[in-house]
Amino acid sequence: MNRGPFKLPLIIVGILIVFAFPLIIRDRYFQHLLVLSGIFILLTSSWNLLAGYSGLLNLGHAAFFGIGGYSSALFALKLNLSPWIGLPLGGTAASIFGILLGIPSFRLSGPYLAITTIGFCEILRLVAMNWVSLTRGSLGLYGIPPLTPFRFSTNFSIQFVSEQNAYYVILIFVFLTLILLNRLIHSEFGIGLESIREDELGSQSIGIDTSRYKLTVFMISAFLAGFAGSFYAHYVRFISPEMMALGETFGILTMVMVGGLGTLLGPVVGAVLLTFLSEGLRFLEDFVKIDIRFVIYGGLLIATILFMRNGIVGLFKKVAKPSESNGR
Amino acid sequence: MILVQGKNLTKRFGGLLAVKDVDFALQSGEILGLIGPNGAGKTTLVNLITGYYTPNAGVILYGKKTISGLKPHAINNLGIARTFQIVRIFHKLTVLDNVRSGLVDRRTRPPWRVALDSLVKNRETQVTGRAGEERAIQLLEFVGLAAYQHELAENLPYAYCKRLEIARALATEPRILLLDEPSAGLNPKEQNDQIAIIKSINGRGITILIIEHVMKVIMDISHRIMVLHYGEKIAEGTPEEIYQNEKVVEAYLGREAGAYD
Repeated sequence: MNRGPFKLPLIIVGILIVFAFPLIIRDRYFQHLLVLSGIFILLTSSWNLLAGYSGLLNLGHAAFFGIGGYSSALFALKLNLSPWIGLPLGGTAASIFGILLGIPSFRLSGPYLAITTIGFCEILRLVAMNWVSLTRGSLGLYGIPPLTPFRFSTNFSIQFVSEQNAYYVILIFVFLTLILLNRLIHSEFGIGLESIREDELGSQSIGIDTSRYKLTVFMISAFLAGFAGSFYAHYVRFISPEMMALGETFGILTMVMVGGLGTLLGPVVGAVLLTFLSEGLRFLEDFVKIDIRFVIYGGLLIATILFMRNGIVGLFKKVAKPSESNGR
Repeated sequence: MILVQGKNLTKRFGGLLAVKDVDFALQSGEILGLIGPNGAGKTTLVNLITGYYTPNAGVILYGKKTISGLKPHAINNLGIARTFQIVRIFHKLTVLDNVRSGLVDRRTRPPWRVALDSLVKNRETQVTGRAGEERAIQLLEFVGLAAYQHELAENLPYAYCKRLEIARALATEPRILLLDEPSAGLNPKEQNDQIAIIKSINGRGITILIIEHVMKVIMDISHRIMVLHYGEKIAEGTPEEIYQNEKVVEAYLGREAGAYD
């Protein structure tokens, strides 16, 4: 990361703009899309940590999203637990499943790991589909309580039913996540992950316990995805096994690829762009009668792979520094 | 003083005996050359010592500690580093980060602790900070690559990749360095540079085991040489003794060819 003289002011202006968004544009649907983008930023960033930085192609990432959503929703519905406790609990539950998926990664890599992760995700989706007594099966869980209001005093409290307030909550989480991920990636832990991505045997030769590193990164990534899932559950207030469908993972994958795999801002750019693009073009569904989202995703993915391997962020880096086409 | 020794080492791949009942001892401070025809079991022996393979029989001792059966990373953490016959550097990382990756002190902290520390600790105290950079640059200067520190490793010519891998191995602060054909594919000028580097590593007190086919290199730098043939040790001694050994000439050096030219 280069720290030019303009970087700090730019960041401050950027933060002010994103904070002012819902105040400028009062349209609730637009604000709803902003919240969804925020949730997807958490999700794509967590996947990027695995696939982009550690070279672990996890095609079952939606499983973590779903586990976070389901566990938090069930805690709230069955045990009346506050959603604020449900958020970290959802993350923790996903993290435990992260260990389960991390273990096969000791021995498997590349396409073999990818197939295993697809299987893992499908199993969990089928469990959610068929354990009707707990999950209501394909009907899904509805009536999930929203984030409970903060009561500062009897006449002043912050409600979280409006899109605008939810937006500010997710915005804080997004900033926190990006700050922590930035630290993690540029730390000695981050270098360890990148070396595992580049060459596993080589990493072992310099003393990196690749198995335990992979397990740790699976846990971190799953926590983040589970957290996003919990937030989604309490925001949309309805979840179904479709949350763990293979298509969800490919949605995440497309966002990261389009934004820029293995970059901090790539997932952010991709998540915001594709959320708005697919919603903005939804009117086309009246004409073609299919889920237009996947058509767009597929087209964009192919275009990215053919014309800009390093995604949008990679493209900008190239323009800014033509001599150094890539690098940290 | 013997640093590392192997006793009755045997490694089998299916029906193939790659290493057959080999004894060896690596003396503290020496450069031990390991030669033999292709398929003699040289790399297998290095893989056994560094934990990439587990022996089917026999034991490897580091001091008094049995290290056969330990994982490769654990063996590196004990102070045994290696390079590979075909370089295994990190292509998409910069030259500097390649060396930094070796600097990370993993001996005392588990990965989750490293991750947690990275979130709370000041970056300057980590290898990604100033101090780590300086250590990495020192090592790059030592192998003559400091000028390329911001290049991506994939852009380096092959000879530099070999040196980069040595610098990365040195970053782990080993007592013993195992070099698997460090001069393979290099031109004569580059081979001479490589000899100088290996000698000065040894001058720092690091014990070296080197596999090499280039006779000029091996005869020039080795204090002792060990010869493998079909997985068996057929000779051991000073370069002069090896040069005159009938069995070695028969199996490897050849009768007519002068080894020194």
